[in-house]
Order: sequence, then C-alpha cells, then structure tokens
Amino acid sequence: MKRTIFCIQHAIPIALLLFSSFHASAQTTTNTTVDSSIYDRLNFLEEQASYHKSGDDHFMVVGLTTFGFMSNKTTNTLNGVSTISKTNTMADADRYEFSPMFLWRHEKKFLMEFEPSFNNNGLSVNWADISYFALPNLIVRMGYFVLPFGTYSKKQAAGWINKLATDPMGIATIPATDYGVEVEGGLPLGSMKMNYDLALTNGLQLMPDGTLSGGNIADNNNGKTFTGRLGILPFSNSCMELGVSGMFGNVGTPGTLQSNVSSNLYAFDFNFVKTFIPILVNIKSQYNIVNIGNANYISPVDSTQQYTFKNKSTSAFVQCAIRPTGIQALHDFELAGRYTIYNTPANSTWGANQHTFSIGLNYWLSWRSVVRLTYETYTATSTASTLLNAFTGNTNSNTLFLQFSIQL
Amino acid sequence: MRYNISAQKLWLIFILLVGIACLLLINGCAPSKAIADKPGVLLWSENCQRCHNTPSPTTFSPEIWETIGMHMQTRALLTEKEREKIVEFLKSSR
Repeated sequence: MKRTIFCIQHAIPIALLLFSSFHASAQTTTNTTVDSSIYDRLNFLEEQASYHKSGDDHFMVVGLTTFGFMSNKTTNTLNGVSTISKTNTMADADRYEFSPMFLWRHEKKFLMEFEPSFNNNGLSVNWADISYFALPNLIVRMGYFVLPFGTYSKKQAAGWINKLATDPMGIATIPATDYGVEVEGGLPLGSMKMNYDLALTNGLQLMPDGTLSGGNIADNNNGKTFTGRLGILPFSNSCMELGVSGMFGNVGTPGTLQSNVSSNLYAFDFNFVKTFIPILVNIKSQYNIVNIGNANYISPVDSTQQYTFKNKSTSAFVQCAIRPTGIQALHDFELAGRYTIYNTPANSTWGANQHTFSIGLNYWLSWRSVVRLTYETYTATSTASTLLNAFTGNTNSNTLFLQFSIQL
Repeated sequence: MRYNISAQKLWLIFILLVGIACLLLINGCAPSKAIADKPGVLLWSENCQRCHNTPSPTTFSPEIWETIGMHMQTRALLTEKEREKIVEFLKSSR
C-alpha cells in the first residue's frame, strides 16, 4: 500500500512535468507557425507595396466629352420679307467634343499637358505645353497654351464645367490659344489672395475682313503680343475673384493694307461662388473690349475699291446659377441663366448688335457628369454696310439643347 | 564725370530691377495666420467650387491626385501651400 502511495506521489509531478513540457513544446511549435505565416504575409505585402510605390514620374490620361441634340428655328427678316429655317441635329454639331488629356509629371517640377480634340472642326489640339514649377508660386510655361485673357476660356469653357450648353458669344470668339511663353502663379496677400498670369506669344492676326484669328505657329509679323491678367480674391474664404486683363500687339501682316495695325484688347471678369444654406449661388461675368487700329480693307464687291470702318467690338455676359445643395431631394438639380451681348463694328461686313438669353436646367449625375437642358433665344440687328453686299436685316432664333457632358 | 548709358542698357537695367522686385514680391508675400492655418478640407471646399463641383477624394489614386494637383495649380493659380494641403486631404480621405 505504501509502495502504491509512493508511486502515485511521484507519478503526479512527473506527469505534470511531462504535460507542461509537452504543452510548452506544442506552444512553441504553434508560435513558430504563426510567426512564419505573419512574416510571409509581411514580406508579400512589402513586395506589393514596393511594386505599387509611386515613382518620381507619372503619366496619366483624363479627358472630357460632350454630345447632345439641338433643335433650332431661325428667322431672317430683310426689307419686310422673312425666311425661316429649321434644323434638328444629333451630336449638337457645334459643341460635340471628345478630348482626352495626357498629363506627364516629372517629379514635382515639370508637367506636360497635351489635349487633342475631335470636334466639329475635325481633329485639333486644345493645348500642348510644358510647365516648370520654378518657385513656390511661380510657374513658367512654354508651348501652345490658353491665353490669360479673362477667365472664361481658361476656366469655364469645358463642357462638364459650363452651366449652359453654349458659350457666350463674343467672349469665346476671341482666339483663346497661342504659341509662346507664360509665367503665372498665385500669391498670398495677408487675408486676401492675388494671382498673376503673363504671356508673350506670336499674337493674333488681322484677317482681310477685319476680324482676328489666332493660334498660328508661324507668326504673320515680327511683333510679339503681350497678354496679361491680374486677379484678386478680396475675401479670406476666396468666394469672390475680380480680374483685369489686357492683350496688346501688332496684328497686321507686312505687305498688306493693314501692315502696321495693332490691337488693344481688355477684359474684366467677376466670379462669385458661395453657399447661402441651403442654396449654392454661382455668379460669373466677363466684359471684353476689342480695339483694332484704323486700316483700309479691300472691298469684297470690287477689289479695286477700299473701305474702312471703326473696328471696335464689345461683348459681355452675366450668368447666374443656383443649386439647392442643402435640400436632399433637389441637390442634384441646378438652374442657370445667362444674358449675353455682342456688338461688332458698324459699316463692316460683319457688323451687328446681338443679344442672347439662355436658361437651363442641369441634372448632375456625379460631380463631373451632367445632363443639361438649355433653351436659348438670339436676336441680331445687322449694322453691316449695305455697300458691301452684307446682310443688313434682322435675325431671330430659338434653340433647344439637350446635352450630356462628362470628365473622365 | 559723365556717364553715357544707351537707352537699350537702361531698358535692360529697368527690366532686371522689375524682375528682381517681382521675385521678391513672389517670395515675400505671406498669408495671415488664420489663412496659413486653414486645413486642406477647407481649402478644397473653397477653391475647387469656384470653377467646378468639389471632387470626391475617392475618384483618383494618391499618385493621380498629385498630378491633378499640379495641373489644377496651373489652372486655378493656387498657391503651392494650398495645392499641397488640398492634395494631402484628397490622398488621405480616400
């Protein structure tokens, strides 16, 4: 009996020792297994992270497209006789656009931008330039770029940004792009902000009828054109921006009647965007003045005759859009209206006093895609010269646009 | 003693001085403390909507936001600090 008790007394500690030893061994084995899988997983993740780690350079493609439907009725009246024309066009012929934009970034110092465009004019290029971020608030750009004249062409014209289906006439008529060099940047100014944008380019070219064309890779004269804009944001929340622009240069072509003609263009722009809960209010405006020096032009009726006129044009628009961003049921809808005036030179072949009123309802599918319904009325009273066989009557047109635009 | 300086040289000196003044202006401008302390989310809501709807941070990857940020600095003429804060907000809020 004593022997049995002795055996039990010694067997229990031995069993406990063996059990604890076995348990410890098992635990060590389990720990080793877990650690190994974690290490493997970590190694895999490290490889993945390394594989996806950003390089110094980056290339990407974004872009935009706009297409839609347009229904138009135009009435031309001359000497009491009216002629009516109607058009219904898919793809909204004048405003169809498919424009991919390629961006190359080299570190944080260089950015190359290239935007070809397929539109109603066929294939063209919207811009192709390279920017050098020289100083914290100084960017130098070279190539073919949008001129810093007003803000519409540079900041508001893109289909997915525009509040209405059309561009304001006269504002978008001035050639928007050119070849040259540009310096620009934004500057803090206490509680305010300002920005500057200065460009030296080939410049605009005066056409035989007195209109301007631009964007020529070969300059038509030796003079370069200076374009500049200064903007100021007077409020600390940047809700308002005021800008003044000028464009000065020789536009005449040597050897023609207008060889020494220069042009002075001015633009004043205003931008106000602020939420008055629950409504987001967006007001934009621009006023352009185009002065072209006096010159004689060859008559389109008789090439041995010349004529002249005061070559001054003015254009302006005021646009207001409201969006009830604070009302859940309506926050994707936006109501927009715009009034535009465009007066071209009297006694030319293209003189007219023109007005448009546009109203539209937009539905935002996302922050960068929109369906627009725009109705626009246009009235024009010709001030062209009757001696030049120009149309001298009145024009009225009403147009309905249904348009879709997206930025990708 | 009389110095003869041609008009061309005077123009060069003038342009040089204006250039130096501009560089000093560009580097010397400073925001007030309240403006300098603005977080990226506030700058994102204030600046983007001046031209278009405020973009969703989930739209692009962090690398793409970096490139878009540079593109937008050239368009909206943001200051470099504003661009950095907005891009950082967009990258971190995905």
